[in-house]
Amino acid sequence: MTSAVKIQALNKVYPGDVTALKSADLEIGDNEFFTLLGPSGCGKTTLLRLIAGFEEPTAGVLSLFGDDISTLPPEKRPVNTVFQHYSLFPHMSVFENVAFGLRRLGRSDKDAKARVEAMLDLVHLTDFAGRKPSQLSGGQQQRVALARALAPEPKVLLLDEPLSALDLKLRQSMRAELKRLQKDTGITFVFVTHDQEEALAMSDRIAVMSAGEIQQVGDPSAIYEHPENRFVAEFIGDANFLNATVAETTPSGTTYALDAGGTLTGPDQGRAKGEAVTLFFRPEKATLSQVGEGPNQLRCTVKDILYLGNSTDYWLALDHVTTLIVRSKNQTDGTVIADIGEQISLSLDPAALRILAT
Amino acid sequence: MTRSRDIRWLPGFSWVTLFFFVFLYAPLIILVVFSFNASRSATVWAGFSFEWYTKAFANDDIQRAATNSVIIAIFATIAATTIATMAALTLSRNKRVKGKPVFGGVLIFPLMIPEIVTAVATLTFFAAIGLSLGLGNIIIAHTVFCIPFAYLPIRARLDGMDESLEAAAQDLYASKFTTLRLITLPLLMPGIVSGAMLAFIISLDDFIITLMVAEAGSTTLPIYIYSLVRIGITPEVNAVSTVLLGFSVIVVTLSYVIGKKNKT
Repeated sequence: MTSAVKIQALNKVYPGDVTALKSADLEIGDNEFFTLLGPSGCGKTTLLRLIAGFEEPTAGVLSLFGDDISTLPPEKRPVNTVFQHYSLFPHMSVFENVAFGLRRLGRSDKDAKARVEAMLDLVHLTDFAGRKPSQLSGGQQQRVALARALAPEPKVLLLDEPLSALDLKLRQSMRAELKRLQKDTGITFVFVTHDQEEALAMSDRIAVMSAGEIQQVGDPSAIYEHPENRFVAEFIGDANFLNATVAETTPSGTTYALDAGGTLTGPDQGRAKGEAVTLFFRPEKATLSQVGEGPNQLRCTVKDILYLGNSTDYWLALDHVTTLIVRSKNQTDGTVIADIGEQISLSLDPAALRILAT
Repeated sequence: MTRSRDIRWLPGFSWVTLFFFVFLYAPLIILVVFSFNASRSATVWAGFSFEWYTKAFANDDIQRAATNSVIIAIFATIAATTIATMAALTLSRNKRVKGKPVFGGVLIFPLMIPEIVTAVATLTFFAAIGLSLGLGNIIIAHTVFCIPFAYLPIRARLDGMDESLEAAAQDLYASKFTTLRLITLPLLMPGIVSGAMLAFIISLDDFIITLMVAEAGSTTLPIYIYSLVRIGITPEVNAVSTVLLGFSVIVVTLSYVIGKKNKT
């Protein structure tokens, strides 16, 4: 993998001793759709601004295709940004906006014109070249911002929550559009978002960040299926956590005794007998049935039922303090598995049970 | 709901307001009306006439004073607006400047200093350093007191501007000065024009400081009008004043309209 962006021990401390980024190491591959995901204040935007050059690192090295760019100002970096609120120049037409970077790079009028037309064609805005940004809808402004940032053929395109200002339908269609643009142009995209669904849908790889630190890097399914810690498990999708101790280890699997009562069996993860662990499974991995008390089943009481359209969430009480959520796909006949207050059996496929680092 | 129950209706307040308006504008209206009076009297109406305007425009002293006023206002406006723009950019954008609110306050503080104090101080200062440049003295003095007036609309415009636009320009390979030329200044222009017009009017109308600083031969229009009034109010004074009034109203209105226009 050629690395487009490589950061080594990168630190950013703001005046007043606010650490925004703690010794981050990361490699982003060429032609990759890479997402920085995390809640607000996690340092993802700081990292993006460091790559763009709007911030100077306190320590560490930032390189772009092997060249150290840590000290270069933004205008010297072959990197362009799509800003959160687009930041289109209001006094210039769409054409002039898209041509701005090309002109600064000294491209001839003829060259620039051809390139701008190609870019506007790419984002389906050919007929809007003469308009001012204020005459465009939010989605159109978004596409102008993309065309403007892509026009100078940056080595890396940075996107700072570009979809957050759009309404839901538009946001969903822009996801596919962005993915298409990335594939068509072959440019490395570094995408910042706090929306886990967006990250899972678009990314080749995701870095989950929290409190200035990178928690986990991996492809979407690895992040979703095998979160390395509780933060990642909780931030991406919904999660059930259970405190337990290792009761028995056999080559075929490990049995855990839950603090709330009952046992669950999962794959062997090299834990010693008697060790305290946190177990985790996703709500849609478990199934509910009226009867039975078998292996990998837990008897629970239904506390709440939330109808979500394509699925239903069952909130189950295992004991007085432990609540589990099970998501069940809704069938065409619309039958309800259980009513509030009823006893029910939760079954879990052993392969879906994970142990989290605590 | 009846009027007496309406919390927003306060008895007598509207009459006081109306009275205020009458007091504010009646003298101006009388001045304008009598500038068209056919007789010499400032109190008895004797028919419509442009006589006083013709006389005023033909008066060499008035012409000279008006020319001085305009020259001073133009130079003072250009200098004050340029400095105010640079100050506004520094005080709103430069991260290295500490205590920006203090500097901003100090910059507009002269607006609250009694003008006579400034006038005496300026005169003393010029005398102390032996500055004697004729109109130049007045231009320097006007530039100084026009800066706060030019600064306010420019700063207001700048504070309402999205800083990420400049970041976007820089991201698209524009250097600092290219960004200033292509992005910041064009977007700031309504504020700059508005500030310049305000400075122009303030300079054109100034009396106290100008009276102190002016040397022989650098009489401005307000000073000339004052000297005429001391001899006695003639319709000619009314005519000159009306022209000055009309001009001020037009410029201030334009300044306001441009300042309000296309807020980003």
